[in-house]
Amino acid sequence: MFRFLHWRSLFRRDRFESEMADEFAFHLQARIDDLMRTGLSPQEAERRARLEFGGKERYRAECRESHRVHWLDELGRNIRYALRSLRRTPAFSLAAILSLALGIGINTFIFSVFDSLVLKPLPIKDPARVTFIETTTGNTHSFPDYREFRDRAKAFSGIAGYRISVMNFEHGGEPNRMWCYLATGNYFDVLGIRPAAGRFFHQQDDLHPGASPYAVLSYTTWQTRFAGSPQAIGATVRINGLSYTVLGVAPKEFHGTEMFYWPEVWLPMMMQPQVEVGNAWLEERAEWNTMMLGRLKPGITSVQATGDLNRIADDLARQYPLIDKDMHMRLAELGFMGSSLREPVEAFAGGVLLLASLVLLTACSNLAGLMLARVTDRQQELAIRVSIGAGRLRIVSQLLTESLVLAFLGGIAGCALSVTACKLFSGWHAPVDFPVQIAVNPDWRLLAFAAAITLVTGLLFGLGPALRSSRTDLNPSLKGNAGISLLKTKHRFAVRDLLLVGQVAVCFVLVFACILSLQGLQRAITQPLGFDPQNVTTAAVELGSAGYSEAQGKLFQQRLAESLRSLPGVTSVAYANSLPLSVDQSTTSVESTEEPGKTGRRRAQANYYEVSPGLLPTLRVPLLRGRDFNEHDNAHAPLVAVVNESFARKIFNTNDPIGKTFRYGPQSPPIQVIGLVRDGKYVSLTEAPDAAFFGCILQTYNPTTTLVVRSLTSAAALAPQIAKRIRALDPKLPVYGAGNLESMLGFAMFPMRAAALALSAFGALALLLTVTGIYGLVDYSVVRRTREFGIRIAVGARAFELLRLMLGRLLVLVSVGLAVGVILAFAAGAALSAVIYTTSPTNPILLVGVLLALLVSALLASWKPVLRGLRVNPVSALRCE
Amino acid sequence: MHRKDNKSAELLQGTLDLLVLKAVSLGKMHGYGILLRIEQISGGSLDIEQGALYPALYRLERQGMLATEWGTSENNRKAKYYILTSRGRVQLKDEERSWSRLVEAIGTALKARPNEV
Repeated sequence: MFRFLHWRSLFRRDRFESEMADEFAFHLQARIDDLMRTGLSPQEAERRARLEFGGKERYRAECRESHRVHWLDELGRNIRYALRSLRRTPAFSLAAILSLALGIGINTFIFSVFDSLVLKPLPIKDPARVTFIETTTGNTHSFPDYREFRDRAKAFSGIAGYRISVMNFEHGGEPNRMWCYLATGNYFDVLGIRPAAGRFFHQQDDLHPGASPYAVLSYTTWQTRFAGSPQAIGATVRINGLSYTVLGVAPKEFHGTEMFYWPEVWLPMMMQPQVEVGNAWLEERAEWNTMMLGRLKPGITSVQATGDLNRIADDLARQYPLIDKDMHMRLAELGFMGSSLREPVEAFAGGVLLLASLVLLTACSNLAGLMLARVTDRQQELAIRVSIGAGRLRIVSQLLTESLVLAFLGGIAGCALSVTACKLFSGWHAPVDFPVQIAVNPDWRLLAFAAAITLVTGLLFGLGPALRSSRTDLNPSLKGNAGISLLKTKHRFAVRDLLLVGQVAVCFVLVFACILSLQGLQRAITQPLGFDPQNVTTAAVELGSAGYSEAQGKLFQQRLAESLRSLPGVTSVAYANSLPLSVDQSTTSVESTEEPGKTGRRRAQANYYEVSPGLLPTLRVPLLRGRDFNEHDNAHAPLVAVVNESFARKIFNTNDPIGKTFRYGPQSPPIQVIGLVRDGKYVSLTEAPDAAFFGCILQTYNPTTTLVVRSLTSAAALAPQIAKRIRALDPKLPVYGAGNLESMLGFAMFPMRAAALALSAFGALALLLTVTGIYGLVDYSVVRRTREFGIRIAVGARAFELLRLMLGRLLVLVSVGLAVGVILAFAAGAALSAVIYTTSPTNPILLVGVLLALLVSALLASWKPVLRGLRVNPVSALRCE
Repeated sequence: MHRKDNKSAELLQGTLDLLVLKAVSLGKMHGYGILLRIEQISGGSLDIEQGALYPALYRLERQGMLATEWGTSENNRKAKYYILTSRGRVQLKDEERSWSRLVEAIGTALKARPNEV
């Protein structure tokens, strides 16, 4: 409507002007007539009339102004007024903006992470139609199965297979270890993306094993290795010693379909035997190494697609009952290698977002309390404004503008904070040999979210106080002070009371969650790992991709171990294909030879490691029974294994498995158990005890070689020395993962560390806000009741009675808040458990401890104002009003 | 200094608006007539330039308190007439009420004796 008026006045400006001129002229003429009637001469009358009217041009301008003014001008006026009134209380304004900036900044940042991990679609064609295909028990398939699904599925316009892998990449200079995707020929076509340069490989480029030496570079690799040169297309690079032709470059924003993994290059799946040397599985039905993604045909629902896949799975189960029995297919969203990883990531991010919003809520209620106090203090001013004709709506909108201006300033600062945080986060690289990277790019979605929560925040903490103010009762406000009537004061505090209760409750939840997770972290750090990482240095080499044959590799491994033993300070050296709690973990399914019959994918899963003799003592894995491997356990001796307690229980249902045998499957040879070790942690620090077994690497051979060197002291310089010895044996062999084992465990610790850090920040912020809130409340009530205290002291009240007056109410409020907090903490337990790592969520001592701590903080916060209340001088207090 | 000016301007504006509404409430009238009415009902104590009336009229019109129409004056001249709208009537009642409360409050405050405080 205002817009309409504005529009009209624009288009009818001429008419408006001429009408105004007519109106003024009429006024002057009427005045002149009247003055002449009193006997003045026409000239004198006109002079007087003009004088009385005042500056015609000035009023004309003011009229234009009055008429033209629409809501924007009103808003402008309100904002100017708000800024003026905020400038008058700089401490309050600054504190408010700061707490809002933190609250909004944290929320926006966490939203951005959540958004880029979970919400934002992948930069592929029609991403909603592309789906990850998994089974109910795992996210990978055998390659022969993949071919069946690809060729027989009717619901998909295409199904691509892919896998994360690693290789030696050489393009001038030394070879580097590089991470890639092995992808079937139809991969890029199914995803529907266009190359940034050159071309992608297609189905016809990926037909026969070993016959498609083509590479597609990631945009980053193109930029860093080839300086973005167009000559990179068609260039020859060496991968694991073989020549490959660079076909093209992937788009800048495309990093494959996993949100956390940035591959450096894509290679055709048919090169798998050449990439993962010594481990060809393209024709293996019982090796589940291929991930699948498919594009649904138009009009096909996910239910139809699942049915289609299961029809094929049932056929496969009938054809290969030992391997594929009980295989059930399902669809999952792309991004996290299926739902097994996506669900915890979503739960974690969601949980953190929930906690962050609680922090913002605390900031809101804190500010609402302060605004309410401001409004109460300004009642006199507001009453005057109302009495001189400012409408109530006007006052409400003015106070609301004040809140929104605060929120806006806080929002801008918060936005800046979150953009900085996003930049830092995106630039962060996990300290592991794996391109873990999550790109959180601040974009319009971040801005929109920040704007939305800023607005909501401003309304949340501003609307209540603003509406309250509109109920200002003129009489007592103008008469002197509202503080005179105690009854009224009580009523006025009701809203603030509620705010305080809420704030204390939320604060309790946050502090409790924070302490729980810190305790969990502490426990995780001190929990037995099943091995001792102290004074252990590791380094790894990949012999297969460096072109070593099995015989050469075995020899190299032994010579290298021998060479390292002579390093000063080294007490023992051993090697393995992988270590517990490192990134690279393998599981396999096994069965007891005494009790076969469990088939298909339902068989027992166990973590497995191929280790050299001496590895278990070097890592100080406690041997409970039997013996460690020795050099006689070689390729000519019967297969042996060392198992852990869980393995013994799960597979053999015993505590003494020595001498018992197990096997991978009916066709594979039996493996005899020769030793029993204590359970440890294998995949994550938070896992439940899980079955694991160690095989002897001398009997099998694995080209992936992780060296484990124990030294007398934690020798920081050992890693470079190890690398030097490796180069002495083979200068072209890339060394990776070199360093102190303890610090490498940082990878396993990372999720918990991040959660503990976030929670600590939230807890501290909430505590700070609550303490200032309580301080504000007590301080305010003491100031308002100064006169009452003066009277009471004058008539002989004791300190104790005054204390009761000042603190009684506060204690009740804080206690109620804490009680609500306890209930909330239990109610939110499920959501919190995704974030918090703890074994006993309801630790009573901790609960009481946090309760007491908050109570003490409340009392400390009120200490200063209470002291002032006790020291009120009755004479000056009574005089002050 | 600047702030003080604003405050007095706001006071004046509020009062003038109230008086204009009151004057128009007595019947449809043109600007000059409204001025005379205000002088009449306020006992001639309103000390403003006559032109200052118009911004107030335009503002009240924009706020929907007043409506306008062109008509012919007593001595047959074309004049713009102002009429109180229902919204203006409500506003006037509101302001009358708060004004008398203010007057009453100030009266009470001024009558207060030392022993009452």
